[in-house]
Formats: sequence, structure tokens, C-alpha cells
Amino acid sequence: MGNAGGLFHLCDGVVIAVDSPGSPGVETLLLSSGRVSAESWAAALAESVQTRSLQAVLVARGTIGAAEAQVLAAAALRDGAFAAAVGDVERCVVDDSVDEPLLPLTDGLAPDVLLSETGRRLDAVASLPFPLSPYRDRVVAASGAESAGSTAERREIIAHATGRRSARDIAFAVGRGLYPVTVEVSRMLGEGLLEIASPAASFSFAHGSLASLHARTEAGSAPAGVERPG
Amino acid sequence: MLDYDALAVELQKLRENVTGVTDTVIAASDGIPIISDVAKNVDPAHISALAAADLGIARQAAEVIGLGTLSQTVVFGSTGYMAVYAIGRMSLMVALGDKGLNLGRLLHESRPVIERVGSILTP
Repeated sequence: MGNAGGLFHLCDGVVIAVDSPGSPGVETLLLSSGRVSAESWAAALAESVQTRSLQAVLVARGTIGAAEAQVLAAAALRDGAFAAAVGDVERCVVDDSVDEPLLPLTDGLAPDVLLSETGRRLDAVASLPFPLSPYRDRVVAASGAESAGSTAERREIIAHATGRRSARDIAFAVGRGLYPVTVEVSRMLGEGLLEIASPAASFSFAHGSLASLHARTEAGSAPAGVERPG
Repeated sequence: MLDYDALAVELQKLRENVTGVTDTVIAASDGIPIISDVAKNVDPAHISALAAADLGIARQAAEVIGLGTLSQTVVFGSTGYMAVYAIGRMSLMVALGDKGLNLGRLLHESRPVIERVGSILTP
């Protein structure tokens, strides 16, 4: 538990899925990237209630292949572990859960393998030329970045770098993994395509000029300066 | 005059502490925005009006059906959420979130925020 926190699904000694608010799950990876339409996803979810296997339904409907589903499940699992580890971990709770993960990795991943892989990713992020926190640092496109020749993936990141979004928020918006997006955002910061947003750009507070909530009840009297027609 | 700075601090903390919260609005329960922290493509006036209607219906439903005190009302979309919380009888708070939002954590973190915002709004 923590921010972002994460839920590690263990079965027979191996990790079969990791869900974290910090990393896009299989649903977001498939929907936000446009790989699968919201309609066919919803239909597959409804159908999977009876068969109890979303993957079987997705494959039977021809939405994605079994191999692609497992590649996706493995990527989401590793990304979820990274997302939990790179954030604040407040406490750990072990629970006998009956909640099945949406799209489990059939063979699972040994915890020590996942641990060392996640450690390598943490080291890689820490030693990036432009280290950044995927949660705290919000990024904005540098002036002229839109016209700079770059890949479609970079243009998409630039389009979503409003100053309010962190690398994690951009990963959700574009439907790509937290780790690859964090690495890409760091490189783009180093190349001057993105900048760390100022607090004023990260939070855009706007308000009217209400005197107080109490005063609203006294608004019954006619406002001054209203001219009657005629 | 309302202490808008104090309200801004509360909204900023909520967005920083709960991963997945993208926008926040505090509005009067009649749908007039009080303070907002939203992206350029989000109109606080629209969100406030929708949230006021949403909260009104949810409150009525909870009373008529006998569900007890309303704690929150949430719109579930395929790519995100809109959660609305009552702040007393006079005002409300809206949190928009993306698909990664943990609603349990949002509810947990929102409770103390709602209490503090309530006392800022009605000193």
C-alpha cells in the first residue's frame, strides 16, 4: 500500500499479475492505444463472466492472439512491479484474495526474478541523464518541440505534456507502459524537447469572487443598478 | 472573503497524494464553481453543474431507497472516473480521475480533505 501502491497476485509461488494505479493495466494498454475498441472490450468482459477467462474470450472473438495476450500480461506485470517500487510504499498487507486478475500471466514469474528485474529498472531510472520522478515531476513541451522532427511516439508524448501531467499520467493517456514512457520522457528532457513544469503550470487554480457561502442566502434582494425596461 | 489559498492547498495535496486524480473542483451545491484546478479542455462551470445534479440525484436515491448516509457518488467510464463528495449541505467536491485511479484510496484521502474544506468554506 502506498502512493501509487500495487497489488501483487501470487499463485503457487509465482507472481501472475501486478495491478498498480501507477502503471497502465492491460485494459488501458489495449484501449488507450486504440488496439482494441471499448465496445469489443466491454463485450468480452461481459462474456468472460461465464467462462472465467478473459483471455479465452478475447482469443475466441479474434480480438487478440493468445501469444500477444501473454506478452501483454507479462509487460503489464513487470510495469506494475516497477510502478509500486518507484513510488512510496507505506505498508504491506498479505491477503487471501478471491479476486482473479483480469489477464494473468499463465506461467507466472518467480518473485526473485521479478525483484531483480525491478531493481535493475530502478537503477536504470536513477542513472538516467535526466533523472525524474515519474509521479512528482510534471512536464511541459518546450517551445518549438511540436515542429521538431521526431517519432510518432515522441509527438504523442509532446501532445500530452500539458504541464499538469507527470510521466505516469502521460503513460495512461497514451496507453504505454510507465517504465518506457519514463525513460523516453527523461531522454526528451535531456534533449530539450520537454521541460519540468513550474508549479503555476502544474496546478491551474481558478476561482470566482464569492464573499462566503453564508452570503449566498442573502442574495434575494434585487441587485443594484438594474434598469427596468420602458 | 473566502480563503482561496487554503482551498488551493487542499486540492493540490489531494492531486499529489492520490495517483490518478487529474482534475478537482469545489462548487456550491447549486452548481456554481468556487475553486477549480482543471485542465484547459475542462470547463469548471460544466463540471460543477453536472456534479450538483449528480449529487442531488444520488442523495435523493440514498434517502428514498434507505441506503443511509451518502458517502460518494462515482461515474464509471471506460477510460476514467468522476467522483463527487458532499461537503455539508452547502457545497461539494469533484475529483476527475483516469483509469488508474484507486477509488478506495481516493475515498480514504478525501475524508479529511472534505472536513477541512468544510471548515474553510463556513468559518
